[in-house]
Amino acid sequence: MPKSASPLPEVTYTPESRVKHPLTLLREMGQDLLASRELAWRLMVRDISAQYRQSLLGFAWAFIPPIVTAIGLTLANNAKVLNVGVTDLPYPAFVMFSMSLWQTFTEAINGPIRAVTDAKQMLAKINFPREAIILSQLGQIFINFGVKLLLIIGLFIWFKMPVTWSVLLAPVALLHLIALGTAFGLFLAPLGALYQDISKGLTIFLGLWLFFTPVFFPVPQDSTFATIVQLNPVTPLLVTTRELATTGVVSNPIGFWLASLLALGGLFLGWLFYRLSMPFVIERMSA
Amino acid sequence: MIREDWETAEAWETPSPAADRDVVLSVRGISKKFCRSLKRSLFYGIQDIAAELTGLRPDNNQLRHREFWALKDVSFDLHRGESLGLVGVNGSGKTTLLRIISGLLRPDTGTVTVRGRVAPLIALGAGFNPILSGRENIYVNMAILGLSHQEISDRFQAVVDFAELGEAIDAPVQSYSSGMAARLGFSCAIHTEPDILLIDEVLAVGDLRFRTKCERRLTELLRQGTAFVLVSHTFQAILNVCTAGIYLSKGTMLLAGSAKDVMDRYEADLVLLDRQEQQEGDRPAIISAHASSHETGLQLLDIYFRDQTEAIVEFPVTGQPLSICVRCQARQAIANLSLFVAVYRVMGEGGLALHMSSVYDGDTFAVGVGEYEVRAYLPYLSLMPGPYQLNVYLKDGSSYMLDACESFRFKVNPGGRLNRGIAYQPRTWEVKAL
Repeated sequence: MPKSASPLPEVTYTPESRVKHPLTLLREMGQDLLASRELAWRLMVRDISAQYRQSLLGFAWAFIPPIVTAIGLTLANNAKVLNVGVTDLPYPAFVMFSMSLWQTFTEAINGPIRAVTDAKQMLAKINFPREAIILSQLGQIFINFGVKLLLIIGLFIWFKMPVTWSVLLAPVALLHLIALGTAFGLFLAPLGALYQDISKGLTIFLGLWLFFTPVFFPVPQDSTFATIVQLNPVTPLLVTTRELATTGVVSNPIGFWLASLLALGGLFLGWLFYRLSMPFVIERMSA
Repeated sequence: MIREDWETAEAWETPSPAADRDVVLSVRGISKKFCRSLKRSLFYGIQDIAAELTGLRPDNNQLRHREFWALKDVSFDLHRGESLGLVGVNGSGKTTLLRIISGLLRPDTGTVTVRGRVAPLIALGAGFNPILSGRENIYVNMAILGLSHQEISDRFQAVVDFAELGEAIDAPVQSYSSGMAARLGFSCAIHTEPDILLIDEVLAVGDLRFRTKCERRLTELLRQGTAFVLVSHTFQAILNVCTAGIYLSKGTMLLAGSAKDVMDRYEADLVLLDRQEQQEGDRPAIISAHASSHETGLQLLDIYFRDQTEAIVEFPVTGQPLSICVRCQARQAIANLSLFVAVYRVMGEGGLALHMSSVYDGDTFAVGVGEYEVRAYLPYLSLMPGPYQLNVYLKDGSSYMLDACESFRFKVNPGGRLNRGIAYQPRTWEVKAL
């Protein structure tokens, strides 16, 4: 194919900090996000195909953890070993639903970190829009949640739980939850590529975080523990999603909007941090 | 294809305004520093990130503790349809330079301006997932290289045909040999039809047939106006494909010019790397085997070279006429004076380069008392450039040793029209219609 005489796109690389030209930076970010759509799709198809080609149980892995946890906790609750109080929904449904949401949140945090780790070879050798690997992981999170949704619908049918029109708003709250997780992940991913401490510490930290989130228990009141749980940004997002899908009554709208602000603002800042720091990480990480 | 215009190439200079339009890659004053200690390197990474976020740029011209310059002050221009060869020993900064051009690394000083799409062949098969088949991986690899779905579909068949993997294209990539995977990766990269192609030491993969196919395709791309930057250790690859060259050593540009000039300099340096440098103008001392001439009647006084104008030359030149001269003094008449010459290679595997004697050729000389210059005239010197050791023996007949010298070291300089191989071969080229 003969080369056309039309002007070629021109790019200049300098050592200057990109922060000094904020408008150019924002424009580049937008361009890269658009340019990475197809690549993200391609990578997602690749990863899912490869993952399930090597697996017998396949998609079933997406809803085994919630079921297993629910069985264990329900037995413990019935035996009065645990005393979680009264929940709006039947306890097994409560646990499975909340557990699915929490799992989605942890997947969202781990998403960018996993994306960078899996793509280390590519990152070290080719310059491509790096938003693609993040989007590809996000796509996988949505697909995994889609599988969990089957479980949740099954739950609703089994326990004969009523559904109000507010269930249509539940995905919005869920998106905010995913946004919050991705925001944390974007801050941690570049650092995690340099220092192993990040991924090790994160596993422990998430385990701890789980205890301060009303996943196994309803939102507590009037205690130090309750204060911590209510300050936890995941709480309003997770609880609101649960409530929208079931009872239709949102108990903490202000908390929800504050947490959403944190989530969306954090997502943008995380994206900025990821974009600015990745070139420096790439030249120093082990490929 | 060897182009003739480098014979009269002008000095490497910045292009005139009319040629500016055609500059696809402009590199000015690029430097890059790395750190040798891993822990410190990670810490500097954090420091650099903080500097980037706050916009407070530290002084990039200073080396922090344990840092070194991987590249220092490299500048060149690349025009449309030009191919540039990057040569240098391992670790001289070639891959770093390619990574900066492709935008992967941020330079510490200077600017790089790139016009058009860049396709790096730095790692073949980036993004390949071993579980998936070759077919599926083509889509992944070309998407990473920047093509849209439609563009990939258009070229898909051409990529499959070029890779010549046959039925293996539907097998998982983990079952491929490294050569097969490299062929697939190369085929993908070469079909992205970029404006600038960066090739990092990957032309060596594949069997001979595949390699020649790749070279043909690269030449086609060159003719269509793609510009190359090529790093390779196989000299043929550089000389066949490149028009210009840059020689990097420890990050600095030692020479920029025609591909031939750069390759000659690089090869000469490779050969002389371990050699102890001799001062120019220092004549090696002649150690004669005998203290005086009384024992044998002949004393070897001096060894030197003369060119075709009879002038004494310090360094013989490959391909040029040369006389190896031995000055000696005879105290008595000698009936069958003959000269033995043995030349040994100093570098590489060592070993004999040349052994000849006048008596084997049937030439001996009858001399009386006096001073003589015995010489071996070579119509053209066939020794390739490099260091050698000369052993010279003066004998009466074929075995009676009169005098000898076994430690004469000399260096042969390159001449014009050098070929590759163990010896210089003068030749002419012609074609005849049948």
